[in-house]
Amino acid sequence: MDNLNIGRHISGQFNEDLERIINHVMHMGGLVEKQLTDALTSVCDADENLAKQVLNNDYLINNAEVSIDDECTRIIAKRQPAAGDLRLVMAIVKTITDLERIGDEAGKIANVTLESLSGKHQDLLSNLDNLGRHVLTFLQATLDAFTRMDVEAAVKVHKSDDKIDREYEALMRQLMTYMMEDPRSIPQVMSVIWSARALERIGDRCQNICEYIIYFVKGKDVRHTMVENFESLN
Amino acid sequence: MNKWFKSGAPWVWLSAAGVSISLISVLGLLWLIASRGLSYFWPADIYQFDMTDEQGKNLTVIGEIYDRESIPVSQLVHLDLAIDKSAKTIERLLIKTGNRELVSLDFRWILVPQITQTTLPEDIVVIERRTNGNFYGYIEQIVLDGKAVEESKMDELLERVSDFQAEIAELQTADIGAINYQIERTRLQVRKHQLDDTLTPELALMLKEKVAGLQAEYQVLERALMALREKVARDQIIMRAMDGQRVTINFEDIIKVSFNNKLSFFGKLQMFISQIAAFVSDDPREANTEGGVFPAIFGTVLMVLLMTVIVSPLGVVAAIYLHEYAGNNALTKLLRIAVINLAGVPSIVYGVFGLGFFVYMVGGSLDQLFYAETLPSPTFGTPGVMWSAITLAILTLPVVIVSTEEGLSRIPSAMRHGSLALGATKAETLWRIILPIASPAIMTGIILAIARAAGEVAPLMLVGVVKMAPNLPLDGNFPFLHLDRKFMHLGFHIYDVGFQSPNVEAARPLVYATALLLVSIIVALNMTAVSIRNRLREKYRMLEH
Amino acid sequence: MISVRPKNFSANLSAQPAKLDLNNLAPEQVALEIKNLDLYYGNKQALQNISMSIPKGQVTAFIGPSGCGKSTLLRCINRMNDLVDICKITGQINLNGENIYERHTDVAALRRKVGMVFQRPNPFPKSIYENVVYGLRITGENNRRVLDEAVETSLRSAALWKEVKDRLHESALGLSGGQQQRLVIARAIAIQPEVLLLDEPTSALDPISTLTIEELINDLKQQFTVVIVTHNMQQAARVSDQTAFMYMGDLIEYSDTNTLFTTPMKKKTEDYITGRYG
Repeated sequence: MDNLNIGRHISGQFNEDLERIINHVMHMGGLVEKQLTDALTSVCDADENLAKQVLNNDYLINNAEVSIDDECTRIIAKRQPAAGDLRLVMAIVKTITDLERIGDEAGKIANVTLESLSGKHQDLLSNLDNLGRHVLTFLQATLDAFTRMDVEAAVKVHKSDDKIDREYEALMRQLMTYMMEDPRSIPQVMSVIWSARALERIGDRCQNICEYIIYFVKGKDVRHTMVENFESLN
Repeated sequence: MNKWFKSGAPWVWLSAAGVSISLISVLGLLWLIASRGLSYFWPADIYQFDMTDEQGKNLTVIGEIYDRESIPVSQLVHLDLAIDKSAKTIERLLIKTGNRELVSLDFRWILVPQITQTTLPEDIVVIERRTNGNFYGYIEQIVLDGKAVEESKMDELLERVSDFQAEIAELQTADIGAINYQIERTRLQVRKHQLDDTLTPELALMLKEKVAGLQAEYQVLERALMALREKVARDQIIMRAMDGQRVTINFEDIIKVSFNNKLSFFGKLQMFISQIAAFVSDDPREANTEGGVFPAIFGTVLMVLLMTVIVSPLGVVAAIYLHEYAGNNALTKLLRIAVINLAGVPSIVYGVFGLGFFVYMVGGSLDQLFYAETLPSPTFGTPGVMWSAITLAILTLPVVIVSTEEGLSRIPSAMRHGSLALGATKAETLWRIILPIASPAIMTGIILAIARAAGEVAPLMLVGVVKMAPNLPLDGNFPFLHLDRKFMHLGFHIYDVGFQSPNVEAARPLVYATALLLVSIIVALNMTAVSIRNRLREKYRMLEH
Repeated sequence: MISVRPKNFSANLSAQPAKLDLNNLAPEQVALEIKNLDLYYGNKQALQNISMSIPKGQVTAFIGPSGCGKSTLLRCINRMNDLVDICKITGQINLNGENIYERHTDVAALRRKVGMVFQRPNPFPKSIYENVVYGLRITGENNRRVLDEAVETSLRSAALWKEVKDRLHESALGLSGGQQQRLVIARAIAIQPEVLLLDEPTSALDPISTLTIEELINDLKQQFTVVIVTHNMQQAARVSDQTAFMYMGDLIEYSDTNTLFTTPMKKKTEDYITGRYG
């Protein structure tokens, strides 16, 4: 939290407002993480109840996004934040959008569970599970970096997205082969592909969040730039 | 009780009491001066008292009731009066009987118990005269050129005489005065040329001829004057006094004839107003105990105006230096303290200073430099209106300096900075911004100075005021304003009439009337200045207020 | 069909003028150059080694906490500090390449080139007309036509003409606070200065008048170089092109306003503009 440096405003009310928003974002991050975990679990265990629960709980994330958005608007109107504070609020506004999308992606994964896959596709799912675990770790690392506003961690996380991409591509190739071998299984494979795609998107969104962290702390917008440029940050 | 103290109510009452006391004393003062002073002008009733004196003789007293008092009977026992000895006190009246040519004193006391009859006869006449004061009595006869005429002709004759009198006065002061002045000037011119050794025979001849011409003119005027005097002396009025004596009064001596007892209220009011007008516009008579005070009013106002003209620029400039230019150091502080303390110096000290420094040193040197021809009789080396004005200017200088400085320090620095930031120099800022804004404060200083100067008498006695000045300091002879002349002053007039005149009793109402006049003049001067100040204040009103 | 997007899309998006490199301004871009300026009030140093270049035709804002020396620095530019006896200045301020602290400088002429508007509106207790022409009258201008014209142009530039054109000869003290401040600005620009110094010009005004003045400042920079001191950081952010942050007599950070208010370089600046304990 020390990078956040929000506790020293002369206005205690402002401190409280910012702290509350950050706590809400953490809470929302927790929700998203739980949704993703549950979605992945439901896929692996073919637990339809859990999958339904994930779909039902999506509204929590949506609500959180709306209310945090609202709070940010209020802070901008009332406090006219500048410099670090302004970047923090902007980063949060963007972060929650990405978090909400991650929540949506988790919903998509849960949907796969409901498309009752037969037993013979279980090995497909184990591959998916592998990718899922990685993405989950990735999300956790991102949220962790966000909590501490740790630029180094964010850069590291940002770079490790490559690993997910490689894994995703490997999975895709595998699924292609599968489809070619057994054209009848195409509908099932397609739903696995959707989930893999969703996981890959989650990775991208986590990467975005890392960029916001860097923007907040360093004041530099690193979106759409080469990863190599990150080195110049320190 | 304690609660009442804490409520603050006692302080309200205390301060209200303070205000009331001040208010009552001011109003009381004004009421006293006004009532005593104005009653002098109200035409009094003329009583005829028939009485029996201690020898049993009957006599008649005619006059105004001037005063009344009670005295203990014990004071009167030696007189062996036929009065009630049991009464503790007895009332007596002071009667103004006038008729100075018959009795030496205008006033006499009469005892009320001796009066047998009091009447207000309608045909009693009061004659106000140029000499010998009022005459009270009955008209016996009007004599026109040695022949008796009807009484009704009197007004006509009076008017004729007063027209001639006016003509005489005009001739004397304006024409003859101007010729005398020119003759004197020519004489001084001759003397100056003699002193400078530039008197050529031609010049001497020319000047001599000029004097001769003026002399001839003078002769003509004097003959005209004589002719007028003769005309004026034509008619007489024969009066019967209270004791039956006949007195002949020349019309030329008469100022006014009035039947006081016949007058209605409005008639009295009319007379009251005309008396006040005469008091304000006439010259004094009879050693200042009668007539008007015009020269004194004129002298007071002129002197105060001169003083204002001298003190305002001086005080303002001094204040500007002290406040704007002098460094904020010990010397400036010392100067400021000195200026403030000057205000506490007794005024007579200023008079001594004025006499010693201005009159003798400065005036003496001026005479030697510029008016050598008149010496040994001094021109500026003697007290005069200019020295009075300068002395009072010095006296009131601290007031003007202090209030101007106060005004300068109240001007927000934003004004100065605003002007300076527009590229004005300090002098331009002072002249265009600071002085106009400070003008109400400067006016306040001038008001205070006027109030102080107009009431000051003591120093003036040393540097220019006289009991009776022959000429006003302002007249029709070049250079019109004669700053070297002595002048009369209302304040000194009060002192002179009240304490130096031969007839103190008669002068008492005059003292009050003059005092009232002095107060009104000071108030008028102040009001003028206050209204100017208020107009300025309105103009330069600061937004902050 | 999708590719109808303009080519210089990004240039259109950012309406901001090209950023100036404040450390390397071309000589013709510089209005004022302050070099190694130190200022002492008696023994107390109020400004420490200030060096900065103020660009021409732009609005430069000085911000900082009370007593940081921003007003003092502003007053150095037209030598108003000369009025303070105990004030001593070293270093130089160059206006058109000439040091205004040269011995032979005509201070009155300098102040005609560098106009100033103060915290509280200070119209003179004269008519509106006389207020505006005051500076011209000082220079000896008495031609009625010239004065009339100057009054109209300055009042128009100060966005006051419409409100007062029918009462030019009424007292200036009858105007509202915001109008008075604009009158004072009109008075300052009537003598055509090169630089206009504004010392917290809106601190005594209500928010609406403040906005009018801010709008006016934006117009004024077409003609003049404007330097403004303000307590109100949002105001500095709104009106200025460059912002200098000062703290305890030091110039902490001086950069273009957009950068300073989003990504300040110095922690002190950040703390100040985000309202943190110093």
